[in-house]
Amino acid sequence: MPEAGQEVIKARRFLKDRLQRDYTTLRGYEAERSNVRQLLQRTAEMGESNSLLLIGPRGAGKTTLINSVLTDLLENNAFVDNTLIVHLDGNLHTDDRIALKSITVQMRLENAADGKVFGSFAENLAFLLQCLKAGDKKSKSVVFVLEEFDLFCAHHNQTLLYNLFDVSQSAQAPICVLGVTCRLDVIELLEKRVKSRFSHRQVFLFPSAHQFEEYAALFQELISIPSSKELKSNVDRIDSLELLKSEAFTFQRNHFDSVEYTFDKRFVDNWNKDISKLMKSPTVEKTLKMLYDFDVSQAFLKMFTFRLVAKIKREAPHITAELVAALATQYECDDKVDLLCGLSVLELCLIIAIKHHSTIYDRDPFNFEIVFGRFNKFAKVSSTMQGVERAIVLKAFEHLRIVELIMPLSNSGLGKVQKEFEMHKLALTYGQIQQAVQRYQALPTEVAQWAQSSLI
Amino acid sequence: TRLADGTPRRSIQLSNIVEQRIFDNNEIISTPKRSRSKLADDADYTPKKSTHKSPGRPRRMSTTGTSTKQKEDAPMTPSQKMKKIRAGELSPSMEQRHQQLDVGHKSQLQLAREQLHVSVVPKSLPCREKEFDNIYSFLEGKIQDQCGGCMYVSGVPGTGKTATVTGVIRTLQRLVEQDKLPAFEFLEINGMRLTEPRQAYVQIYKQLTGKTVSWEHAHSLLEKRFTTPAPRRLTTVLLVDELDILCNRRQDVVYNLLDWPTKSAAHLVVVTIANTMDLPERLLMGKVTSRLGLTRLTFQPYTHKQLQEIVTARLAGSEAFKGEAVQLVARKVAAVSGDARRALDICRRATEIADTGSEPTANAATKCVTMLHVQQALGEMIASAKVQAIKNCSRMEQIFLQAVAAEVTRTGVEETMFHGVYTQIETIATFMGVALPAPGRALNICSKLGAERLIICEHSRNDLFQKILLNVSPDDIHYALRVEGN
Repeated sequence: MPEAGQEVIKARRFLKDRLQRDYTTLRGYEAERSNVRQLLQRTAEMGESNSLLLIGPRGAGKTTLINSVLTDLLENNAFVDNTLIVHLDGNLHTDDRIALKSITVQMRLENAADGKVFGSFAENLAFLLQCLKAGDKKSKSVVFVLEEFDLFCAHHNQTLLYNLFDVSQSAQAPICVLGVTCRLDVIELLEKRVKSRFSHRQVFLFPSAHQFEEYAALFQELISIPSSKELKSNVDRIDSLELLKSEAFTFQRNHFDSVEYTFDKRFVDNWNKDISKLMKSPTVEKTLKMLYDFDVSQAFLKMFTFRLVAKIKREAPHITAELVAALATQYECDDKVDLLCGLSVLELCLIIAIKHHSTIYDRDPFNFEIVFGRFNKFAKVSSTMQGVERAIVLKAFEHLRIVELIMPLSNSGLGKVQKEFEMHKLALTYGQIQQAVQRYQALPTEVAQWAQSSLI
Repeated sequence: TRLADGTPRRSIQLSNIVEQRIFDNNEIISTPKRSRSKLADDADYTPKKSTHKSPGRPRRMSTTGTSTKQKEDAPMTPSQKMKKIRAGELSPSMEQRHQQLDVGHKSQLQLAREQLHVSVVPKSLPCREKEFDNIYSFLEGKIQDQCGGCMYVSGVPGTGKTATVTGVIRTLQRLVEQDKLPAFEFLEINGMRLTEPRQAYVQIYKQLTGKTVSWEHAHSLLEKRFTTPAPRRLTTVLLVDELDILCNRRQDVVYNLLDWPTKSAAHLVVVTIANTMDLPERLLMGKVTSRLGLTRLTFQPYTHKQLQEIVTARLAGSEAFKGEAVQLVARKVAAVSGDARRALDICRRATEIADTGSEPTANAATKCVTMLHVQQALGEMIASAKVQAIKNCSRMEQIFLQAVAAEVTRTGVEETMFHGVYTQIETIATFMGVALPAPGRALNICSKLGAERLIICEHSRNDLFQKILLNVSPDDIHYALRVEGN
C-alpha cells in the first residue's frame, strides 16, 4: 500500500529533523534553567550586572539550556527591546582582536559600518570601554555569551575577560557575562584580578547518571511521534520565535519546525504502540543499559537514535529489537581488530613477530631488523612464507607504520637513523592481536599455531 | 559591457552629490575627492551616461540638502565618522532602552540586593580610614607644594585600593571647588585596559585633550608638555592601575611615567597600584625602582570583622539580613581571601536564594536572609563540584577513574600510562562483571574525562602510550563511589 509507505518516510523525516535541528528543547535541569533565566531577566529588567559560568561535561546540554532560556525570554517584548545579545565563541574568536571586532559589530557601535570595523585594536578597545562607561541604567543591557570560555582564558593578559568582568562590577552599562565551558577547573585558569572580579556564580550541568529509567524514557520520547495537539503547540512556539526575526539567533533560520508534518491518527497510534511494545523487550533494555553504562549524555543517545531512525525503510517500516541490538554491536566492536583483519598474512605475521618480541622482552622497543630476524626464523620452516623477499617485508613493515599499528619512539625521528634501524613500539594490546588471529579469514594454520607460541 | 559600465556610472552619481553639496551647501566632504578626479579622467564617458542617468538626478536633488536641518543629519561615511571619533568630537554612546526601568515599589530584599552590588561604591569606605589618611596627606602635600612625586600602593585584589584612591581624589576635588586647595588635573589609566604598554601615552594624551593620536606622537607631545616649563601649570595627578601589565622587557613606558615627576617643570604626581608588594624589586629595573621611591602603602586583606562591617554598612539599617548570616559570610570569606567583592557577591546570591526559596510561604515584607540561605550560597559559590562530577559519570567512566587511581597506587608514581590503566580496567571490569570496553572506546572515555579535567591526558594520537595524570584526589573518587554504592 503506497499510502502507508509515504507515511513511514514522513515519520522518518520528522524524527531525523527533530533529532538534529531542535536546538531549543531542553529536557530536565529545572533548577539550573530557572537560575539562569532569573539572572538574565534581572539583567534586562532591573539593569543589574552579573556574571555566570555554566559548567558541565560535553554533550550535557549547556548550549541548549542557553538557547532555550533565550527563546523563552525573547517572547517577552520587555526583554527584546531592552537587551542586545552578543555571541562569542572561543573556537572562532581566537584572540581578543577578533573578539573585539565581533563585539563591536554585534553591538552596532558607531565605529562599525555594515560589519566592517574601523580603527586599530587599541582604538576598538578604547571605544568599546568608553561606550560601556558612557552607559548607565538607562542604556540597554548587553548579554555576552562566551562559548568555550576556557579558550578565552588563554588570550594575552586576559584583557577581554578583565574588561568584561570589570564592567560588570562597576557602575556602567548593565551587562551580563555568561561563560560556557566543559572544564571543571576553569576558575583556576583566571588571573587573580580577573578571578576577583568574577562573581563566583557557577551553574553545574551534570547529566543525571542515576536514573536509567529516565534514559529509557528519553529514548522512547525520541522515537515516538507526538499527537497532533502537541505538534500544534510546538508549531505555535516556533512561529512566535520566527516572528521576532532576531538577527542574533542564527539557529532560528533553520530550526526544526513541525508545521510541515501532519500524521494520520491511526498511523501515530500504531507507531507509538509499537514503540511501547519495543521498550518492553529485554533485548532493547539490555542494549540501552550498555549504552548507558558507556555514556550517559543525551547527545550520545541522540546520535545512536539517529542511526537507528536512518534504518527505517519502506520495506522494513518498524523499529525492531533486532535492529537496536545490531546497531549496538557496532559500539561494542573494536576498530583496530577490524583493521588487523584487513591486513595481509605477511603483515599479520610481522605483527605476531612483534608480539612475540614484546612478550619476551616485556614491551621493549624493536626495529625492522629484530622483527625481520624473528619472522625469518618462522618463514624458513613454514611452507607458505618461504621465499618472501626482504624488500617486501620492509614494505609490509612500513605499511604497519603508516596505519599506526606500530609507532616510532620519538616523533622527531632524528632523521639520522636509517629506516631499518629506527626503534618502534607496538600500539596494540595482546588481547587485540589474539582476537584478530581468531577472526582472520582463511589464516594459514601454521600462522595460527605460531601465534600461540613463539617456539618454532 | 554592463560590467564595464559599473564604475563610471557610480562615479557620476557620486559626482552629482558632490557638486550639489559643495555648491549648494558649502559643505566639505572628504571622501569623494577620488571620484571627482576620476570623473575628470573618464570625461569621455560623461555625456553618454549623464543622459542615461538623468531621471535619477531630480530624485537625489529632492532628498538631500533641502533644509539646513537635514544637512546636519546627513549620514557620514564610516571614515568621516572615524575621523570624528579620533578628534573626540563624537561622544561614544550606548543604545537606549525602550522602556525605562521601573523604580517604583521594591521589596526590602531587592533594595538590599542593589545596595550589595559591588558597583555601588560607598562615599567613604569603611575600615580604610588609615589608608585614606595616608594617601590624602601625601596627595594634599604634593598639590600644596606644587612638586612632583610617586607613590606605590599594593595589596591583593578586592581590598579597596582603587576605591580608596579615587575616594581621596574626589575629596580633593571637592576641596578645590571650595577654593581650599589649588586646582589640579586628574588623569587615570589602567594597564589591563590597554592592548600594549605604549598605548598608555595615547590614553593619557586623550584624557588631556580628547584627541586620539598614535603613540609616538602622543609620547613626544607629552614629553614636550612635561619637560618644558610653562607658567601657571596645574599640578597633574596620574593614577596608574595594574602597573605590572605596563612592565615590558624594556620598561620604557614605566620609566617615562616615573621619570616625568622628577622634572621640575612637570608638577606631576603619580600614584601606582599593583597587587604584589615586592613588584618594584622583583620586576622593575634598578633605575625605575629608584624613581618609584619608598613612599609605599600596603592594603592588608580584610579580616572577618572588617568584612562584617563592610556588609552591614552597605545594608544600612535594613532588616533584610540576620546578623549571624553576615558573620558567617565574613568568616568564610576572610578565611579564604579577604576579598570584599567575594563577600558582597555571596551576600547578593543569598538574597536571591531567599527571594525564590521562600516565595510560597512568607509574604514579601517579612522575607529575610537566614543562615540556611547563606549556607546554600556559600555551597554554590565556594563550590567544589568534583565529587558531584564523579558521581554523575557513567559507569565506564567511573571504572576508568578507579583504574587510574589503582594504577597510581600500584606503581607509586603520579603519572600513569594508558596501557597500564587499561590493564587495571580489565581487572576491575572482570571483577565487577561488566562488559569490557575495547581500547578505542576506553580512549574515548579518557579524552572525555580529560576535557572535563577530571584527569589530565595527552592527545590520544599517542594511543596506548599517552600519559595520564589524575586531577582529582584518589580519596574523592573513593568517597564519591563508595557513598553512591550504599
